[in-house]
Amino acid sequence: MTVLNELSNAMAAAVENVGASLVRVEGRKRMSATGVVWNSDGVIVTASHVVTRDEELHIGLPNGETVPATLVGRDPTTDVAVLRTAAKNLSVPHWTGGDGLKVGHLVLALGRPGQNVLATLGVVSSIAEEWHTPAGGKIDYYLQTDVTMYPGFSGGPLVGVGGEIYGINSSTLLRGVSVTIPTTTIAPIVDTLLKHGKLRRGYLGVGSQPVRLPAALEQQLGQETGLLLVAVEPNSPAEKGGLMLGDVIVALDGHPVRVPDELLAGLTGDKVGKDAKIKLVRGGQIHEVNITVGERQ
Amino acid sequence: MGIAAAEFEAVGEIEIGGSDRLRQLNDDISDAIDRAYHALVQITNGERSIGAGTIWHSEGLILTNAHVIHDETPSITLNDGRKFPAQVLYYNAELDLAALSIEASGLPTIEPGDSKHLKPGQWVMALGHPWGVRNAVSGGIVIGMGAEMPDIPFSSREWVVVSLHMRPGHSGGPLIDTAGRLIGINTMISGPDVGVAIPVHVVKKFLKDSMA
Repeated sequence: MTVLNELSNAMAAAVENVGASLVRVEGRKRMSATGVVWNSDGVIVTASHVVTRDEELHIGLPNGETVPATLVGRDPTTDVAVLRTAAKNLSVPHWTGGDGLKVGHLVLALGRPGQNVLATLGVVSSIAEEWHTPAGGKIDYYLQTDVTMYPGFSGGPLVGVGGEIYGINSSTLLRGVSVTIPTTTIAPIVDTLLKHGKLRRGYLGVGSQPVRLPAALEQQLGQETGLLLVAVEPNSPAEKGGLMLGDVIVALDGHPVRVPDELLAGLTGDKVGKDAKIKLVRGGQIHEVNITVGERQ
Repeated sequence: MGIAAAEFEAVGEIEIGGSDRLRQLNDDISDAIDRAYHALVQITNGERSIGAGTIWHSEGLILTNAHVIHDETPSITLNDGRKFPAQVLYYNAELDLAALSIEASGLPTIEPGDSKHLKPGQWVMALGHPWGVRNAVSGGIVIGMGAEMPDIPFSSREWVVVSLHMRPGHSGGPLIDTAGRLIGINTMISGPDVGVAIPVHVVKKFLKDSMA
């Protein structure tokens, strides 16, 4: 057998194997999308943006059956949704972290928008550090590929040539590029959603907008902008902690806050009920206050 | 992902180290292309390139898409440079297939492959003349096959949908498998990196029905 034939057969086999764990997700008006079996209890992982309604959800199984599904919960900030179906004997695929994955490796994107499994091929374009989505979701590591996101591929897996799944692909997290939400990011989200049905998010109760810092402070703090408070909700954690209109927040727990997204991203669920250290500029002076973070409802 | 405009001439032996298997992979790819590309022809109207064609029979039967020769007076340029005027033998706009004949014999043909058992993920290559660039090759994989492919026009018909760069000028050229066998006729694009081909078993039926 030629090496080319070997590669071709291996890719087709990977598609076939992983395909047994792919379902069609019927959760929006336009084209159906793709979900991946997470465990043998009928838990399915997909992209949040392809499940536009919370009820009347259906799953198309590899054997052609269509069965009802319920929404366990979703995290729009990372574009992850978790569904549950009563179907048994679903094939659980090999989910894996990104260890060993390198720029240039061949990868497949798979989908089941209709009855059959479809596949596209690409290479890993970029692997980089932790990042935050525009909606403030924390993603363990940046994973960009040049796979073609065929219609209905969102929620489908990024698959290595050995059939291992590195995460699920989203065509909307970043416009114009195919990024993958890694397995290591999905796992704790699934655990939390299965336990609580939602993700906890921290809450301060402020409205803000970025402002340019005075030159001296800019140099001292090493950042150009901070967040000017334009609203402080009554009885909010921010008010109780002594934040005032006109304060300029510049850091949260030691991490610089330059734009609203950075404040949102910093208010993770694990901070709820705990003290957060807020560095701010008030009357030209740098202050630090502790605020007990609330929970966003 | 694509192998754009591969040249068919060798460029000499260059030792750059690396993996023997990867080099073997490259050799396998060019071997498959070598087996197929003699059957690739260029279709012109006057001096203007209007598409590609695939030699089906050594006695001068050439396949292309109906849309390539629509209202044109086609000539065929073989890969050895010879040029022939062509007669339109069979034409089916609905299937988008046409068969041409030229006054030639002993032409190099291509071995038909199996388009009924293609698998998503398997390696394929499209040969043609994208934007008039002669004898270019694109590589990729099968996305899916059959009718009812999402987002494909005329979705009630059978297609092979492939993940590779297909462009105007690929139309009528061969889509080949890893052994250089003909599995489809390149027909249209559905997005920048999605090509659509007519499977060779549909082509066979077209010829059989036309000759009956």
